Amino acid sequence: MAIPTLSRRDYLTLSAAGVIGFSMSGWLKVLADGTAKDRKRKRSCILLWMNGGPSQMDTFDLKPGHENGGPFQEIKTNVPGVRISEHLSRLAKHGDRLAVIRSMSTREADHGRGTYLMHTGHVPGGPIDYPSMGALFAKELEPPDLELPSFVSIAPNNLVPAAQRAGFLDPRYSSFVLGAGGLVDFTGAPPANYEQLLKVQDSERPAEVSAAQAAARLKFLEEADEEFLRDRPDGPAASHRAAYRRAVALMRSDAAKAFNLGEEPKGLRERYGNNLFGQGCLLARRLVERGVPFVEVTLSGAAGANSWDTHSNNFEGVKKLSAVLDPAWATLLEDLDDKGLLDTTLIVWAGEFGRTPHINRNRGRDHWAKSWSTVLAGGGVKGGQVVGKTSADGTEVAERPVDGQDFLATVGLALGVDITKPNVSNIGRPVRITEPTAKPIKEVVA
Amino acid sequence: MTPVGIHSVGKGLALAGALLLLAATPARAEPPKARQTETDRAAAALAAKIDERFAKRWKDREVQPAPPADDAEFLRRVYLDLAGRIPSAGEARRFLDDTSPDKRRRLVDDLLNGPAFVTHWVNVWRALLLPEFRTLDVNGQARFFEGGGYSFEAWLRKQLEEGVGYDRMVRELLTAPVDGLVAAGTDTFAPRTAQPSAVTFYNLKKVQPENLAASTARLFLGVRLECAQCHNHPFAKWKQEQFWSQAAFFAGLEAPGDKDRPRPFRDNPDKRDITMPGAGKVVPARFLDGGEPKWQDQVSSRRTLADWVTAPNNPYFPRAAANRLWAYFLGTGLIEPVDEMVGDMAQNNDPGGLLDELAGALVAHDFDLKFLMRAITASKVYQLTSARTHASQDDPRLFGRMTARGLTGEQLFDSYALATGYRPRPLVTVIPSLPNVAPPGVPPRDMFREQFLSTFANQSDRAADSQTSIQQALALMNGAAAGGLARSRTVTALADFPLMTTAERVEALYLATLSRKPRPGELERFVKYVDRGGALADGKEPQEKDKTAALADVLWVLLNSAEFKVNH
Repeated sequence: MAIPTLSRRDYLTLSAAGVIGFSMSGWLKVLADGTAKDRKRKRSCILLWMNGGPSQMDTFDLKPGHENGGPFQEIKTNVPGVRISEHLSRLAKHGDRLAVIRSMSTREADHGRGTYLMHTGHVPGGPIDYPSMGALFAKELEPPDLELPSFVSIAPNNLVPAAQRAGFLDPRYSSFVLGAGGLVDFTGAPPANYEQLLKVQDSERPAEVSAAQAAARLKFLEEADEEFLRDRPDGPAASHRAAYRRAVALMRSDAAKAFNLGEEPKGLRERYGNNLFGQGCLLARRLVERGVPFVEVTLSGAAGANSWDTHSNNFEGVKKLSAVLDPAWATLLEDLDDKGLLDTTLIVWAGEFGRTPHINRNRGRDHWAKSWSTVLAGGGVKGGQVVGKTSADGTEVAERPVDGQDFLATVGLALGVDITKPNVSNIGRPVRITEPTAKPIKEVVA
Repeated sequence: MTPVGIHSVGKGLALAGALLLLAATPARAEPPKARQTETDRAAAALAAKIDERFAKRWKDREVQPAPPADDAEFLRRVYLDLAGRIPSAGEARRFLDDTSPDKRRRLVDDLLNGPAFVTHWVNVWRALLLPEFRTLDVNGQARFFEGGGYSFEAWLRKQLEEGVGYDRMVRELLTAPVDGLVAAGTDTFAPRTAQPSAVTFYNLKKVQPENLAASTARLFLGVRLECAQCHNHPFAKWKQEQFWSQAAFFAGLEAPGDKDRPRPFRDNPDKRDITMPGAGKVVPARFLDGGEPKWQDQVSSRRTLADWVTAPNNPYFPRAAANRLWAYFLGTGLIEPVDEMVGDMAQNNDPGGLLDELAGALVAHDFDLKFLMRAITASKVYQLTSARTHASQDDPRLFGRMTARGLTGEQLFDSYALATGYRPRPLVTVIPSLPNVAPPGVPPRDMFREQFLSTFANQSDRAADSQTSIQQALALMNGAAAGGLARSRTVTALADFPLMTTAERVEALYLATLSRKPRPGELERFVKYVDRGGALADGKEPQEKDKTAALADVLWVLLNSAEFKVNH
């Protein structure tokens, strides 16, 4: 475990520098300047997580004309044969970047279990604490000397903490969570305070503590820990100090500027959408630009639609959510491209499951894990194609079923990761990144 | 800043608080006679046997064991291990000032019989028996909802309060009556009654015989069967048929109907076989050691299994219990992993016959886990310092010094609350339709505690592997808990108490957090800092408020230190 640690001297220098307000230009800037041009740069991943389970029939696998199809029209993308919902018209301009997988077939139609499965590739409940793919791939892809956390998660549904954690991996790969609203806002109103939510929690000293006090506290703490660890260099104590040093580095250095969206042009910010998800996508780009290997951005709601869990009024909800998703995702692709980052950034679109092809009495669709869709886009992906197929009524996978392991393996390959690599699990047994049984969709990997 | 909170309720309380922090609590009117019961003698004898074996082990392996822990180190360790929290400043003082030779044994007695023991071991068993709470969606919710559903927590509490033997607790779990009870839906929880019941265990294993077989074998027998669920592995000890013949004991359990909705459990207590999926082969229930169950009329399959599991001569059960307990107190099992004591994966750290000795003692004392706790905590091995004095102590499997272990979220919160004088506030649920019903005997939830626990949820089963995240560090450094330290009861009490010197105040903070007195260098450093008004600019005359702020800084340093964050 190569935990980049600061020497005691570095630490004290940093503390002191922060106190007197000296700007640490630091190594991060060098790193950031170098990223876009570096050909050997490892890939990053942005996971667009659709909380609640998005309806495949009304986004990426429409069945116009069939009674299960619903009212939405299908539109052309810039690639013949790849057709998607009319409410994703901006994204349709980037069909050449998309690989639509229409044959997801998992067996978990419960929010918690599906979320765990789609994040870890495993069903929950066993003795092994599987890591979230964010942690799994962050560990493989993080650049040395990264001052920022390597797995950042924006506005996750925190009812499934295990889907955000490092599991049996070093907990420093657990997600660094921003914008955790805590409990769901039942009115469905998007959080108005998204600017505030996207700031790092607790990254600033409490208001009543002066800069001089904070500096004194840190100096004393370093002395105390130094003394304690001299005799007791055990794991928990060492990890404690490492985490504090990373936390202080984050507070003090330029790294935290990544979270300052105010540096972005107003026009660009508006293109992403003035809402939590849109600005979250923009933040994801800023983080990826600075070397963060894995960012998850969750879309949980839009005005009038409180999640993708559209048991009733499905079409109204999906339309509203699409209106948030479409500009954010399309702009993300364009912005990454402008910055020269698109070829090294994989974008994954997924939720915990899909929704019933059958439309229920409340004009809704219920949980459905048997035949649904996910999308891969950008770096590492052969775009402009559709993989797999569902039956005419949408209830069966007709071609190329893809399960949780297959999906995880495909993401891994697109990121250029050796998916056969083992990690040591919490029960002391090696566990591969994906199981030997996983069948990655090789044809979508560039 | 003007201290609020405690000030508003009057000075009297603050003084009383300071007394607790400061006073050498008057020793008990009459120090209890060193009454040695039969049990005490037996525990001491077992402790001596533990130490004999390690003395030999260390000699053979050329280990220079660390010196014994001093009173303060022992005190903090044994409080965290048995009561799940650090001692209060008053408790620490009382113990440190006590001069009687058997004070360590008496402390263990007091802790084993105290209310915190029950609360802490409910948490320990709950985490162990329901690990799904960590990995499953119900995680955050379960903490809210379980209090109102069938309460596993209340059930555990009942076992611990009644002090039942470990065999009886396991038997009750394995034979828990479920017929007619409501199985939770995957999306919906059972009706909110507050009935103590072990049914949550079955619910979280999804009422599936294979899950129940795998977890009970792992938990109670130290045997890992899961790998044999799907097929035979060439080198593994357990065959697929053995797995399913174990699952067959639970085959009578069903919860038919829509899995998404609450529905009634059904138990066919006499079902004694199961169909292996795929193969279609029907496998009869059979014990893991190959033994054929002696079926009796009116005795259910689960009961038959429970009788075998908890029998004194079960080859796995007492050893698995003793090993788990050893690992809990020493950080590493005599056999590791504790969930997989049998087979090629198992690593033997036993100095020679010790596990059999402990298991035998457990059986001889009617599966009273407290007896083993007494013996282990009385041993020299447990009472070694965690400070490293020689390289031969580096291999934790040789137990040459105590391993520093991470705290659970509960241990950390309860210690933090005690050290700062935090008073819990009842949780007001934000969802009005879900009342905050606490089952009888289960303490009501505290909102700040719940948030804290979700930030500090444990990642690892092994306390020795526990780690800190950046966010946990930020939360402790800058979060809600750190902000108001100058207004905490501890700081205001010390600041308001007129007759204390700065040195006494600093000492009180050390006792309240690290359960020890400051070393001379530490004392000098902090007294100087507080007297000069903390971080006040040079040349300014320090006011009382500056000194209070400086005391809060000292408290912050102690609470954020690695020494506070680990059980050492």
